[in-house]
Amino acid sequence: MMASSINGLPVVTVHGGEDVAEVRDVIYDPEAGRLVGLTLNKRGFLSGRRREVLPAETIHAIGRHAVMVMDESSLVVPEAAPDDVASPATERNVLGNDVLTEGGESLGKVQDLVLVVGSAGEVVGYRIEKTDGGTGYIPLPAQLAVSGSALVVPEVTKDFVRDDLVGLGAAVDDFRARLGLT
Amino acid sequence: MSESFRQSLGRKVVSRATAHELGVVAHLLPAIDCRSVAAIVLGRGKKAQLVDWDHVSGFGADAVMVADDAAPHSPSDQREQAAANGKLELLGKRTLSELGNELGTVIDVLFDPVSGIVEALAVAGRQIPADALVGAGSYAVVIDATQDTD
Repeated sequence: MMASSINGLPVVTVHGGEDVAEVRDVIYDPEAGRLVGLTLNKRGFLSGRRREVLPAETIHAIGRHAVMVMDESSLVVPEAAPDDVASPATERNVLGNDVLTEGGESLGKVQDLVLVVGSAGEVVGYRIEKTDGGTGYIPLPAQLAVSGSALVVPEVTKDFVRDDLVGLGAAVDDFRARLGLT
Repeated sequence: MSESFRQSLGRKVVSRATAHELGVVAHLLPAIDCRSVAAIVLGRGKKAQLVDWDHVSGFGADAVMVADDAAPHSPSDQREQAAANGKLELLGKRTLSELGNELGTVIDVLFDPVSGIVEALAVAGRQIPADALVGAGSYAVVIDATQDTD
């Protein structure tokens, strides 16, 4: 699933079956390749921002229709949250970043993050708008460096650009093997 | 023999002591863990009253027998108030796996009319055993990950 599709999902308690908030935005750590947390809105149309945040450690699962937490105590005020959730660095935003290989070739621009359904926020790849205008998917871990405007990825990433999510699923393991990570 | 939430709707509730009809079953309130029936809800909205399961002396095919005329009571806590307002009604409620995927809406709930123990949920053409139920609230019934085929 795409990180952008998390926005607006209800946050539901596993034991209570109550919708306690909804997702405003995702906070992503590109170095770690995972979500570090979620910012929240109150439930209901035009009901405004909730001050509390949801650190990834307290997320039970992110599904297609809801973000599950054990109970409402999973929502914490920013002062009680880890720094990377409470005050995320702006250079962590990878959306719109140019994806450059080590050799200096642009593969496209990051459009979205691809997440594992049912996980607590594991990111397995990026959806990119390729330089020819088409959509492609590249597996993670991809970037060697990230600046907030560009990502530098290993040269081999070129061989793992896929046209669809099914292709990405298969490419992730091969890619990690090629990088010597598995 | 199992009893069904759906089929018990509208069944009259009668006092065993006086034979007075006290109302009809509007819906059934599950316990917070969703494993048993906590109360029978009579009527809706401001006039709604609850009969705790402990005061049900016979859940029969034609009538629900309760101890006496004093068995129905007004909502006494937040959860009972929510039940009176119909927010905790299981029939038609969405189900979510604990992985956050929807599994369909609740079509019926099967329970033991003697003990009040919930046996299974009928959801979108399949039965979910009661031991897979994790919780139930105003938004959803939550079901454990083993029932998630996504």
